[in-house]
Amino acid sequence: MPAQCSGLLDPALAAFITSRISVQIAACDGRGPATLVRGLGCRVSDDLGTVTVLMPRSQALPVLAAIEANGRVAVVFSEPETHRTVQLKGVDARVEAVTAGDEASLQPYAAAMAARLAPFRVPEVFARALLSASPDDLVAVSFTPSQGFGQTPGPRAGMPLVDGKP
Amino acid sequence: MSTGPGLDELRGCLEGIVPAGIATCDAEGMPNVTYVSQLMYVDPQHVALSFQFFNKTRENILANPVATVLTMDPDTAARYRLTVRYLRTETAGPLFERMRAKLAGIASHTGMEGVFKLLGADVYRVQAIEAVPGRELPRIAHGPALLPALRRSVDELNRCTGLDGLIDRFCACLEREFDIAHQMLLMADEAAGRLYIVASRGYERSGVGAEIPVGMGVIGVAAREKVPIRIMFPASEYAYGRVLREQAAQSGLVDRLDNEIPLPGLAEPASQLAVPVMAGGRLLAVAYVESRQECTFGYDLEDALVALGAALGLMMLVLRCPDAADEADIAQPAPAAAGGAGPPVRVRHFARDDSVFLDDDYLIKGVAGAILWKLLGDRQRDGRCEFSTRALRLDPALHLPEVVDNLDARLILLQRRLQDRCDWLRIEKTGRGRFRLAVDRETILVAEGAPRPG
Repeated sequence: MPAQCSGLLDPALAAFITSRISVQIAACDGRGPATLVRGLGCRVSDDLGTVTVLMPRSQALPVLAAIEANGRVAVVFSEPETHRTVQLKGVDARVEAVTAGDEASLQPYAAAMAARLAPFRVPEVFARALLSASPDDLVAVSFTPSQGFGQTPGPRAGMPLVDGKP
Repeated sequence: MSTGPGLDELRGCLEGIVPAGIATCDAEGMPNVTYVSQLMYVDPQHVALSFQFFNKTRENILANPVATVLTMDPDTAARYRLTVRYLRTETAGPLFERMRAKLAGIASHTGMEGVFKLLGADVYRVQAIEAVPGRELPRIAHGPALLPALRRSVDELNRCTGLDGLIDRFCACLEREFDIAHQMLLMADEAAGRLYIVASRGYERSGVGAEIPVGMGVIGVAAREKVPIRIMFPASEYAYGRVLREQAAQSGLVDRLDNEIPLPGLAEPASQLAVPVMAGGRLLAVAYVESRQECTFGYDLEDALVALGAALGLMMLVLRCPDAADEADIAQPAPAAAGGAGPPVRVRHFARDDSVFLDDDYLIKGVAGAILWKLLGDRQRDGRCEFSTRALRLDPALHLPEVVDNLDARLILLQRRLQDRCDWLRIEKTGRGRFRLAVDRETILVAEGAPRPG
């Protein structure tokens, strides 16, 4: 991979979306309504050009089918304790097998999210039930982010990202 | 609708405790996904989403009204995808106010006070519900079984033969059958646009006689919109102490407020529910319950209290039509009780609002104040101390509203306020529609100001 920024992601934004925060992935195949699934983590390629989100295959079937149909994807990342929220979109999304590293990231992801949700009095057992998956049920979706939007609640929600910042 | 779970079974997912997500699609077929601050149950076919900002989701649903919502059960973590079709946006009225109050709680819970402001309640028809597989926790029952509690409470109310007993039974049922520790019952004075407390439980002071304007806070909004208002988290903009004081400060009434009966209530309730008590489409009262615990009152408890409130409202109407034979006027005045120990008390009546002060202490105003003034006047004039509600009802000096005769409730208010405030002046029930004024001190009646015209 060439060590060159693709433009949309900068190191700070890449660090934010991979900091084990809340993720939801949406897709739309053009025939039915848009659909969505909760994600279980994210990684970014070294050149910051490719974003990969993880999700349980069993929960994501309609989302995966839509991505396979047209490659269009929207992913929202939100940090629960600050509500800082960013949405990335791409048109070249593809479904991929996960790596051993992805499987190993599941437990730390659930633990980190449980800690983030604890101040909201969300029991850890609840967070772990919501954010756990069997490693053999895990699937990845990778895409090149072509559009980004700040979605932190407030009047600026929905504005395009400027220099990776909402 | 699919053959899977219906919306009624998913109401826990529609409390806004765990943020939901919504996926929409623009006119070019590009997806969009965002978090939803509030997803609320409307009825078995509809949900409402909070509309707070103009954004891509809004643009998309206006162009392409079918969307998918992903929501989680806050107890079991069960996930559901709802296929929804946007129908309309409501910017005022019962649904809007229910949502606005609930959103205030969610905003404060999530640290977004001042950011979340409801512009509209977006109503969607639910076309399909898909249960999404995944790990779930066993469901744990909270609180008492509501249907048996409701049935026992309705049975209790049906056995009541008087309004005062009905009010006390209702409060006792909330306490005993529904484990509700803090509550008030307020009667509606529709003509005056106010509600006044006739009973409360779980507070240091009863606050009987304290008033809340229609439209203010959880109770006032429930009264104005005739719809239950329920908040799952602390919401300071709906807390009474602060709201009343701010409103009074704005209108320069702070001094006057200090003369009024202070409202009881928790300083910082974490859960609140106000249920209008209706009969024949008319508002009779509001039952208000609160708790220091978050998420105490759910949709099911709201349903139970609405049903119990309906029974209470009908019983109020039934007991308001007394049997004429029970109300036969007292032919012979009984001798007044002699003045007891202590110096004479000046009972001061201000005609402008029928307020009554015992020496310098505010007691009561309005119809209840006029009743007390009349009773004391009759007693002074002809030594009478036995009275009937029928005779009172016919007295033009009381300014009773012609349509809504809530005299019985006023008498109960007066009786309870006297119990709270003084040990020498009492109203004692002597039979159905009959009561005695017991005065153990000498009184000097002082009419302050001119009587009200008409």
